[in-house]
Amino acid sequence: MTAEQQEAVEANDPTRSGSPVPTTNGARLSQNEIEQLCLKAARGAGMSWGLAEEAGFAAAWLATRGLDGPGALLAQLWVGQGRSWREICPVIAPGRFRAADGGGLCPIALGAALCDHARLPETSLVETAVRVGPVDHPVLLLPFLADFARTRREGLRLVWSRGAVLLTADGGMFGDAAALEQETRLDAALEVEGPVPDDTSTQWEPLMVSAETLGELNSFALRITVPTSEVSRAGAGAAIGDND
Amino acid sequence: MDCASLNPMPEAAAFRRPPSEVMRLARMGSAHPTRLSFLRNLLRRVIEEGWTFDRPVWEIDATGVGRAVYRATGPDRTYSLVAFAHDLPDEMRSDRVIATAWDATFALFDGEPTSADLDRLQANVPLQEAGRVSPLELTLSRANRSVRLFGHVIERLAKGLQPDMAEVEAVGYLMRTTAVYGSGKFGAADRAAIADRPELSAPFQAEMLSVWLTRQFTVDIAEHLAFVRGGAAAVRLDSAIKKGLGVGNSTGLGMAPFLVRHPVLLNNWMMAREEALARVRSQDGASAEAVAGFRTALGEARENAELWQSSHPIQIEKLAALRDDLSSLADRISTWPERNSQKPWDALWHWGETALSLEGQEALIALMLEPNGDLVDGLADCMTADEGASFRLDGAMTVATLSASLRDHYDWVLGIDFDQPENVARFWYVSEEKLEPRLGNRFEEDGASLEQPLCIARLAQDLHSALAAWPGDVALAAFLLAHPEHRFMARRVQILHRYPYAEVQDNLIAEQMLPIDLMRCKLAFFGASRFDPRSDKWVRISLFQGLPYPSDMSPEGWP
Repeated sequence: MTAEQQEAVEANDPTRSGSPVPTTNGARLSQNEIEQLCLKAARGAGMSWGLAEEAGFAAAWLATRGLDGPGALLAQLWVGQGRSWREICPVIAPGRFRAADGGGLCPIALGAALCDHARLPETSLVETAVRVGPVDHPVLLLPFLADFARTRREGLRLVWSRGAVLLTADGGMFGDAAALEQETRLDAALEVEGPVPDDTSTQWEPLMVSAETLGELNSFALRITVPTSEVSRAGAGAAIGDND
Repeated sequence: MDCASLNPMPEAAAFRRPPSEVMRLARMGSAHPTRLSFLRNLLRRVIEEGWTFDRPVWEIDATGVGRAVYRATGPDRTYSLVAFAHDLPDEMRSDRVIATAWDATFALFDGEPTSADLDRLQANVPLQEAGRVSPLELTLSRANRSVRLFGHVIERLAKGLQPDMAEVEAVGYLMRTTAVYGSGKFGAADRAAIADRPELSAPFQAEMLSVWLTRQFTVDIAEHLAFVRGGAAAVRLDSAIKKGLGVGNSTGLGMAPFLVRHPVLLNNWMMAREEALARVRSQDGASAEAVAGFRTALGEARENAELWQSSHPIQIEKLAALRDDLSSLADRISTWPERNSQKPWDALWHWGETALSLEGQEALIALMLEPNGDLVDGLADCMTADEGASFRLDGAMTVATLSASLRDHYDWVLGIDFDQPENVARFWYVSEEKLEPRLGNRFEEDGASLEQPLCIARLAQDLHSALAAWPGDVALAAFLLAHPEHRFMARRVQILHRYPYAEVQDNLIAEQMLPIDLMRCKLAFFGASRFDPRSDKWVRISLFQGLPYPSDMSPEGWP
């Protein structure tokens, strides 16, 4: 092993079985790594386990389409710090998903609620669009809208003042997703789409996640770990030696 | 189309054991490998499809350090195990995830690696968790020598002698793997990227292929070192002794939560095995050939039970019961099947239910499946799971329906008194230091506020109480908007609605709970034998013991 490699081993703590991705230069993460890291980070930031699962799903879904899901989730976790569930979860009326105090909705909470209501009258979409927002980091809504479209077996269009993205029932995505990634808060409308183009799926490449994003997601993830005690160390391995 | 709609024997369903019987820890912790186990499935495929194997690279020096490539060529694709052999001082040898060095490290490469690929892997694979691999790699793993047996074998072979059988049988393997990572870990290919390949669609096929090729490596490196030491006097390992050696595996708590975290997968494994047993039981007769096959399998099982050793008090007791059980079974089948008996397999099963211990009953499943491959082998294709498809909650389900489903599938939960200390004695957590799952004592250790959601029984009871406060006709979507903390458990209850074998029906935070029961169940599905607990949280097993080697299938591929 070269001196450089030795240093890398120590710098990255080779003893970890979790997500010890090198944070110095960023890393290309697999879908599974993104999903697991983001689930833990979301839980560490205070989401319930069930919503943290949704956060992991959303970040990985975006990453497989070349969008920076981990970065968007991290930004949202910071925005959500110190805000209660009541402030960030949607208040639902027919055709309208908004925050109780008119502030920014959590896109994970909104997305999960939209999917939960996909077969209920609140999201009928027959006569009129459903208005949503204002919602923070709205790119994180796309994975949920894709599931919504799949559940309803029809295309769905997210429209805002500067663009639109179309999600198809078979997982396709068309339109201004890259522009949506730049938006930090917006109001939007959901509309049913008529005939939709064929899915032109592209080969997936592992997403390069920046060192800063990795470092901060890891910090959130570490909040759900328990500091080691002698008791926990002692109970973790074999009761007798491995050297036989 | 799903497996259920393709089922050629719907009549067998009446013979299935219910989840309330199957999904108990005591029974799961007595599981035996069967012909549906993943390594058996791999071997069936490579034999049927005529895969070939060779070793195109062997750059190992006289000290046993270097690299090698093992190539597996199937009808459509080639996979290569890239092996790095190291010189590890004894004091650094540990099976824990916290280890930093190993005797050998491996990656399963998707295709045939170029020398540039080998160089890239050489810079990363020996570091294991501290390195990075790429989507061109399917697994990352490492192995340590059994110092005692490895040294003994080299010493004897170098002198032109075969190893002492007592030594061989006491250990059973030359090297043991301590982690075999797949599914996108450390940058490797995601499961989704390979799941549509026929040869990898069944669970853990890449991991099993990796371990099987590793088994070849363990013998090759021992023979290599024997020839370095003994020169012309050295001999190769006798083929019968070689066949009796498996690859050891050593694993701890990290494996235990897997079955809880993958409910649909667990259901599909259990359902396939239970359906297999039901198909055999439902037959009207037993052919002479199948009866002979059963007798042969019983003979082998008795031999295996004699060689199976453990120094753990729990396993010692279970092994004694198993040996007695197999002996009773041998007596029982001396006159089986009785002339004119209706459904002789079912009769044998019912006899076993009353006459045998749990260990013996679960062994009986393996024996009954063994001579009935035509009837059950196709079920191996039903053991995979599209977990994404069951992720999305149905928010239109009413509170009343979810509540009723909870009472149906989690009735075992509702009577547990979680105010009793023994029912909440433990908690699962992840250690900050090692990021490894651990099990703490709630009343003696800090950290219970950071508990992992593996306390399913309590979560289910909490959900049931919360639902009771809501009108039955309200949609689950509205309930979850008010109670995001129940989203995790509501998802599981909906999964159970469709997948009845998806949940372990025991309290995983109870004082008496044994993590090794979860591990044994999973390892049996892999095909592991010689289960040998080293504590209630740590276990050694053997893989591929008694089965052929890649070199047996392609003798021309080996020097």
